Amino acid sequence: MSDKAKSTSVKVGIYIFLILMAVIYIVPLLWVFIVSFKTNAEIFSAPFSLPKSFYLDNFTFAWTAGRLGKATLNSFIVCGITLILNLLIGSMAAFAIGRLRFKLAKPCLTFFLLGMMIPVHCVLIPLFTRFAKIGLSNSLLGLIIPYLTFSLPITVYIMTGFFESMPNELIESACIDGATIYDIFFKVALPLSRTGLFVTGLMTFVGNWNELLMAMVFISDEAKKTLPVSLSKFVGPYNTNYSQMFAAIIIAILPTIVVYCTFSNQIVDGLTAGAVKG
Amino acid sequence: MKKKLMALILSAAMSATLLTGCGGGANDDVSQNDATGDNAADDGVQEIKWMFWDDFNATEDLISKGYADTIERFNKDYEGKYHVTPITTNLEEYYPKLNALVASEETPDVFIVSPGPNLTTYVDPGVAAPLDDYLAKDGWKDSFTSDAVFSQMTYDGKIYAVPLNTAAACAFYNTEMFENAGVEVPKTWDDMLEACKKLEAAGYTPVTISAGTAWCLSMVAGYLCEMEGVDLAALADGSASWEDGKLESAATKLTELSKYFQKTAAGDTNDVATANFYNEEAAILIQGSWAIAQINGSNPDFESKCGVFQFPGVERIIAKSDSLAMSATTKYPEACAAFMKYFTDETAQKYTAEVGGKIPVTNVEYDASVAPAQLSYVMDVFGNAKGTLGFYNESMPTTEAGAHFDDTMVSVFLGDMTPAEAAKDMEDFYSANCR
Amino acid sequence: MDKLLRNKKTIIFFLAPGLILFTVVLFIPICQSIYYSFCEYNGLAASKFIGLRNYKELLKDKSMMFALKNSLFFLVFSCVSQLIMGLFLAALLTNINKGRNLFKNIIYLPCVLSSTALGLLWMFIFSPKLGINQVLEKFGIEGPLWLMDTSGTIILPMWIIGFVALWQYVGQSMMLYMAQISGISKSLYEASYIDGCNRAKSFIYVTMPLIKPMVATAMSLNAIGALKFFDLIFNMTEGGPNHRTEVLATHLYQQGFKYNKYGYASAIGVVLIVLCLVVTGLINKFVKSENYEM
Repeated sequence: MSDKAKSTSVKVGIYIFLILMAVIYIVPLLWVFIVSFKTNAEIFSAPFSLPKSFYLDNFTFAWTAGRLGKATLNSFIVCGITLILNLLIGSMAAFAIGRLRFKLAKPCLTFFLLGMMIPVHCVLIPLFTRFAKIGLSNSLLGLIIPYLTFSLPITVYIMTGFFESMPNELIESACIDGATIYDIFFKVALPLSRTGLFVTGLMTFVGNWNELLMAMVFISDEAKKTLPVSLSKFVGPYNTNYSQMFAAIIIAILPTIVVYCTFSNQIVDGLTAGAVKG
Repeated sequence: MKKKLMALILSAAMSATLLTGCGGGANDDVSQNDATGDNAADDGVQEIKWMFWDDFNATEDLISKGYADTIERFNKDYEGKYHVTPITTNLEEYYPKLNALVASEETPDVFIVSPGPNLTTYVDPGVAAPLDDYLAKDGWKDSFTSDAVFSQMTYDGKIYAVPLNTAAACAFYNTEMFENAGVEVPKTWDDMLEACKKLEAAGYTPVTISAGTAWCLSMVAGYLCEMEGVDLAALADGSASWEDGKLESAATKLTELSKYFQKTAAGDTNDVATANFYNEEAAILIQGSWAIAQINGSNPDFESKCGVFQFPGVERIIAKSDSLAMSATTKYPEACAAFMKYFTDETAQKYTAEVGGKIPVTNVEYDASVAPAQLSYVMDVFGNAKGTLGFYNESMPTTEAGAHFDDTMVSVFLGDMTPAEAAKDMEDFYSANCR
Repeated sequence: MDKLLRNKKTIIFFLAPGLILFTVVLFIPICQSIYYSFCEYNGLAASKFIGLRNYKELLKDKSMMFALKNSLFFLVFSCVSQLIMGLFLAALLTNINKGRNLFKNIIYLPCVLSSTALGLLWMFIFSPKLGINQVLEKFGIEGPLWLMDTSGTIILPMWIIGFVALWQYVGQSMMLYMAQISGISKSLYEASYIDGCNRAKSFIYVTMPLIKPMVATAMSLNAIGALKFFDLIFNMTEGGPNHRTEVLATHLYQQGFKYNKYGYASAIGVVLIVLCLVVTGLINKFVKSENYEM
C-alpha cells in the first residue's frame, strides 16, 4: 500500500514540475502572440496588458509588405531539398564511418566534425566570392549547397552514433540471407535508425529554416528571399517596427510548428518501435 | 520511410504554395520591376543596381519611402534608357553584404554609405569613384546649399559621395511640461542643469535617453566634448592627448546630467527612449531629427507640444548626412550620375523637408506649413548654429575608434569607469590603433 | 561479411558525395580563412602577409579577454546545465505515459524557433521599461538591470543569457537522450527489476551506462554550440555594455564586419576552431568509454 501511495505522490510531483516547466515555456511565446495584435504605441505604454482591440492590420501588413508568401515558399524549397539530400548523403557517410571497415574512419569523422566548429562568419566572404565566380550567388541553389554542407557534419556525427550502436547480429543475419551492402543500408540500417533520422532531420531543417546571415548576403533578388530575410525587413535604420515584426514572427512560426508536429509524431513512433523491439 | 519523408515534404511544400496563392495578388506591385530588370539589359537599357539598408515595402521610415518614390520616378522618366534595381537589406547586414559583393567584384553601381570612416573604407581601396566631374556638369554642385555639405565626403580635394539630406542632433522638449515647471529653454550648461532640477521638482522625469543603444548616449557625450573644446583632428594626429582634462570634464558633466535621466535609461533602447518622450513620460529627448517622423507618426497629438532647442552651451551643431557613393567599376557611370541626381532634385528635396522631416541639402523652396512643425524649429536651430560637426563616433579615424568612444561613455554612465579612467582608456586606444 | 564491409568501392560510394561536398564548399574556405589570419586584410583591398601579428594583438585585446572568459563560462555552464536538465527531463518523460508527447513538444518548441526572434523576445522581457521589472515593481521589488549590470566576475547578463540558452536548447539534449533511451531493450529493465532495482536505481545502473555514447555526442554538440554561440547574445546585448558580454563569435563578427578587420577576425576564428577541437577531444576522451551491446 505505502509503496503505491509513494509512487502516486512521486507521479503527482513529476506532473507539477512538468506543468511548471510548461508555463515557463509557454508564457513568453504567448506574450509574443499577444503583442502581435498591438500597435507600436501600445507596446511601449502597456507591454503586459491585453491588447485593446485585436489589431489585425499588423498581420495583413506583415504578410503583404514582408512578402511572406513568396518567402515561405522559397524557404520550403531550400530547406526541403536540403533536408532530403542531407539525410541521404549524411547517413551514407555516417554508415561508411560507423559500419564499414577501413582505417581512416576515425580521421574521417574528425574531418566532418571540424565542419561543426566553423563559425559561419569566418567563411562567409571566401564562400561568397567563390560562388559569385561560378554564378551561384543570387540563386536558391547557391543557398542549398552551403546549407547542405553546413548540415552534413551534424548529421554524420549523430547518425554515426546510431549506426555504431546498431546490433551486429542484424547485419550479420542480413549478410547470411545474401543481401548486398546497399540492401543492408537501405533496408536494414536506415529503417532501424529512423529515430535518429528524424531527430537530425528536425535539427538541421530548423537550423536552415532560421538561418539569416547567409541568406541575406547570398540573395539579392526580392523574389528569391527566404523567410528570415523577410522578417528582418521590419528592422529599420533608426527605428524598429515591433508590432509588425512580431506579427511576421507569428506567421513565420506557424509552418515550423506544422512541420515540427508531423516530425515529432514520427519520433514518437520511433520511440514506441524501440520499446517494442526488445 | 523515404517515401513517407518525400510525401511529407511535398505536402508541406504544397500547403505553402496554397498559402502563397492566397496572398500573392497584393504584394507584387512595387517590385515587379526588379524581376523584369535583369533581362531588360539586352534591349539597350543601361541597368544599374542600387544598394540600400532598408526595405521599401515594409519600412515605416518616411525617408526610405521617399527614396522608393525617387526610384519609381527615375525608372519612369528614363524608361528605355536607364533602369535601376534596388538591392535591399537591413542596416545590421548591410555592410557584410556590401563587402561580400565588393570582394566578389559585383559592387553595386550606387550604394548608400555613412560619411566618415565608413566611407573611407571604400574610398581608400578605390571602390568608390570620385564624383567631381559629374558634379561640375549642369550646375549640379551649385544647387547644394554650400560646399560645406561635402566636407565629410572630400578626400585629397576630391568628392566621393553625394549627400542626400541632413539630420541634426537636437534637444526635443515637451513645451507643456516646461511651462508647468516654469522652465525657460536653457542656453548654457548651468541653465540646463537648473532646468532639469526644476522639472524634477515639478514631478517630471527631466531627460529620456537610451544608454542601451550606445550611440544615443554618445551623441550627448559628443556635445559635451565639443563644449570642452575637444579637437578630434589634433587627437588623431597625436598633437593633443585625450588626457588633457577636456574629456575628463566632459565625462564629469555627463555623470552630472545622468542624475536626471529616466530610471531605466541604462537598459532602454533607442525606440523605448523615444517612446518615453512622445508618450509624455519625460520632458527632454536628445535625439537626431530623424526622430520627428517617429514621434509624429506614433502620437500625432503630440506635434503641437513638441519644441526643439539647440543643445545648450555649444555653438556648433552635430549633423549627419546619408550619402550615395558610386562604384569605381560601374559600366554605366552616366546612368549612375543621373540616378544620384534624382535624389537631390527639387521633388526629392521637397519631400525630404515636407514629409521626411530632414533638412534638405539643396536650396529648395518648400512649403513650411506642410512640413512637420518641428522641422522649422530644427531649421532655426540649424541656421543659428555656427557650423556643424559630424557625429562623434563617425568623426574618428576608424569605425572601431568611434564605437570605442561610445562604449567608454556608456561605461562612465554605468559607473564602471571614472572620467579620468575613461580619458586614459581613450588615449591608450588611440596610441595603439589610430596614430 | 567482413569482405562486404571492407570493399573499397562501397566505401568510396558511401563516403564520396559527403566528403567531396564538404571539402569543396567548407574545407577550402576554412583553409583560406586560416591563411587570412596571418594577413592584414579588410575584405576589400588585397591581403598583405604579416605573420603572427594578428595573434600577438589578440593577446593584448581587452575585449578578446572578455570574450574568451565569457565563452569559457558559457561552455562550462551549458555543458553542465544541459547534461543535468536534459537527462533529468528525458528520465521524467520516459517514465510517464500520459502527456509525454505534450510536454516533450512544449519543451522542444523553442528549439524550432529562430534564435533571432527569441533573442528579441527575451531582450524585451529583460528590458527595464517594458519587461519583468514592471511586474516586480507591482510587488514592491526593484528589479536589477538584467542585461546591463556589470558587477562580479561573471556578470549578471551572462547568467541570464546562459539560462535563456538553457531554456531554448535543453529540448535538443532531451530529445537526443530520449531517442537513445528508447533504443534500450525492455528486457534489460525487466532483468534489473528482478534483481531488485527500483526505477531510480535501474536508471542509474542500466540507462546511464548505456546512453554514455549519446552523452558524449550531446555534450560535444553542446560544447561546440556554446563556443560558437552568437544569435541570442547578438540580439540581447550585442556584446555590450562595453564588451562585457562579448563572446568569441560576436567579437569575430564585430571585428570582421563592423570594423572590416577581416584578417584579425579570421585569427579569432582560428582560436575558436582550436578551442572546439580541444574541448570535443577532451569530452570524447573522458565521457565516451567502450560501447555496450544493447
